[in-house]
Amino acid sequence: MTGSERMTVFDGAELPERLDGLDLGKGRILLEPAAEEMEFDLLDTFDGQVAAKGALLVAAGDALVLLEPQGLLRQERAAPGFVSDLPQGPVTERLRRLVSPLRTLMRVAEGHLTRQAVRGVDDLDKTHLRGTLWVFAPICGGTVSLLEMAALRGYAPTLARLEAALAPVVEDIHDARGAAQALRGTGASAPVLMAPDETAFRAAGDIIRSQLAVARQQEPGVLADLDSEFLHDYRVALRRVRSVVSLFKGVYSAERTTELKARFGAVMAHTGRLRDLDVYLIERDKYLSLVPEAMRPGLGKLFDRLAAERQAELKVLTAWMDSDAYRAELHGLARLFEKPKRLAKGPEAERPALDYAKTLIWKRYRKVNKIARGIDDATPDTEVHELRIACKKLRYLIEFFTPLFDDPEVPRLVKALKRLQDNLGNFNDYSVQQAALGRVAEDLARDPGSDGVAIATSLGALVTVLHQRQMEERARITSSFAAFDGPDTQAGFRRIFKPEEGTA
Amino acid sequence: MKIVASYSNKGGVGKTASSVNLAHGLAQSGLRVLLCDLDPQGASGFYFRVKPSKKLTDERFFTDVKRFTDSIRGSDYENLDILPSNLTFRDFDVFLSRMKNSRSRLHKALKSVASDYDIVLLDCPPNLSTLSENVFASADAILVPVIPTTLSERSFEQLLEFFAETKLSKKKILGFFSMVQGTKKLHAETIARMRQDYPKRLLDIAVPFSTDVEKMGVHRAPVATFAASSPAARSYDALRHELQQRL
Repeated sequence: MTGSERMTVFDGAELPERLDGLDLGKGRILLEPAAEEMEFDLLDTFDGQVAAKGALLVAAGDALVLLEPQGLLRQERAAPGFVSDLPQGPVTERLRRLVSPLRTLMRVAEGHLTRQAVRGVDDLDKTHLRGTLWVFAPICGGTVSLLEMAALRGYAPTLARLEAALAPVVEDIHDARGAAQALRGTGASAPVLMAPDETAFRAAGDIIRSQLAVARQQEPGVLADLDSEFLHDYRVALRRVRSVVSLFKGVYSAERTTELKARFGAVMAHTGRLRDLDVYLIERDKYLSLVPEAMRPGLGKLFDRLAAERQAELKVLTAWMDSDAYRAELHGLARLFEKPKRLAKGPEAERPALDYAKTLIWKRYRKVNKIARGIDDATPDTEVHELRIACKKLRYLIEFFTPLFDDPEVPRLVKALKRLQDNLGNFNDYSVQQAALGRVAEDLARDPGSDGVAIATSLGALVTVLHQRQMEERARITSSFAAFDGPDTQAGFRRIFKPEEGTA
Repeated sequence: MKIVASYSNKGGVGKTASSVNLAHGLAQSGLRVLLCDLDPQGASGFYFRVKPSKKLTDERFFTDVKRFTDSIRGSDYENLDILPSNLTFRDFDVFLSRMKNSRSRLHKALKSVASDYDIVLLDCPPNLSTLSENVFASADAILVPVIPTTLSERSFEQLLEFFAETKLSKKKILGFFSMVQGTKKLHAETIARMRQDYPKRLLDIAVPFSTDVEKMGVHRAPVATFAASSPAARSYDALRHELQQRL
């Protein structure tokens, strides 16, 4: 038997016309005259996780439908939200694998849907293929057609003929990702382009502009408190901006650099506490599983307190983010990078980006090695902390300059670095969490309330477990670095990032 | 999976029409059905507009399971697949008779698709041959259409004798009257006599002679799809119901 037994084709608005009566050699395509007309919502996470996995989640009529190349799943319609809050069903089950539990599903496009049965028949009008044509006409965005077609048993060759007949005419919407972008009217997010010979100044400006735009896109989600990841992504984007300012040494004047660091730092400072609380609450179940059964009620009460604190903190943050002062500050910062003449250049501003990137990355790589080689099991934790920061900076630098290093080995090097970072990150998280719980304990001592004793006892148990985990991570650090410091990785960094003699 | 054979050792008794309508009715009732067109003179594939498969043109047919399953075609109706006939099918019995241990080969071929179907319906060629014997051995039920005439009565007797000689279980045989013409005195008398002689071997079904059944050739579709309320369609449905009771 040749060919597959089902296919999915995406296209723009013209697909129905192309299909109707399409000649398949020994047969043709028929569109059944009866079409269903209804409104639809396209559902996805803000960052498009469903579409990124090649699927479209559609709410239409009384059904929630997940369209994937391998087939269609359906369950009763329900309001979008976190996957864990959706009613049980095959769609929910599948979404669990596609969508992060931290992200909420939301309506990302809406419009009119026409659904029509399609058949492929031969010269005797015997059916060979059966399927459905979906035409989505969104209110904003562009029309997307989707044909899902299956061959009746034994008729796969006819399906192959249809595929061949459609191949030359389909537009640039090839998959669910492209379809979702068209429906959402967003288009593919343009990657930051970078040329090896452009100036370091220009490269810095491009990265900052794109990250500022990402941060601003998160604001509505933060204000509406849709899920925790809007704030997280907001912070990541701003942290990248700050990193460019501080890591791209000499690109901006010293005064400008100090000023920018301070201003972006001040913006981020408003968000720190809320993010910390989000992290605790996300980890609630994990923390509960770490302590003995008897300690869990006390810990549960602690989380209730943290949840209440989060609500208060959210109010403070959203009031600020909704203020004229905030808008004026972000607008002012964005304007600086729109007209780069407004920024005083530093001594390195005119260096070619590639040359500059190599210098920065190589220097940072050597610093990582230097710190790491000095670490043994007796080294104080502050050194480990320093190694973590150095690794983080190295990672940011490689990521910022990714467009300049079109080398298949780069992802492998980043992966090796990431493994080391995971270890260091866990070590740090356990340490930070213990410190934070220590502060909670102090607060508790001042204001014990009726649950004070129960909470304090469970806190003690949790801190003990966290300390144990931290020690386990600490014990792995020298071997983690040894794994990162292998000859292949060393050679890779040297070959790709080491500057030419005399330029470093 | 159940195997049901539609068989008659006499031609022109409405065997293929019963197979086609029965297969369609079983599929409509929700069972997954495979209709195998084993009769070179029959036309069950024709009624479903399924063209003969090129893949069946050599003798490896029952020995090569993949070739068997690849030859199956989906019909226009849900739950109903067809194994189309082929010109060289007329050689099948000869081919099978030449083989040793042929008794189990058909069974094996059918077993390979068992997971896909609830019922496999075999539209058999009209003679007593090795293929027929194979079919009789592996089938759970053997439907035998009988025109209520003296000649058909003799054929039915011969079939029962054949079962006795070859030590096959007679219980599998489910006869029913076909192409019955209510105005003919001979039909009524034969029906009465045969019901008395073979009370256990005959279902309480009499499919009438009908132009609707003849029109199947024009529509190339089961009678229920274009004349659902006709007497013929209703008796085929009764036949389906009786068969499901027996299985």
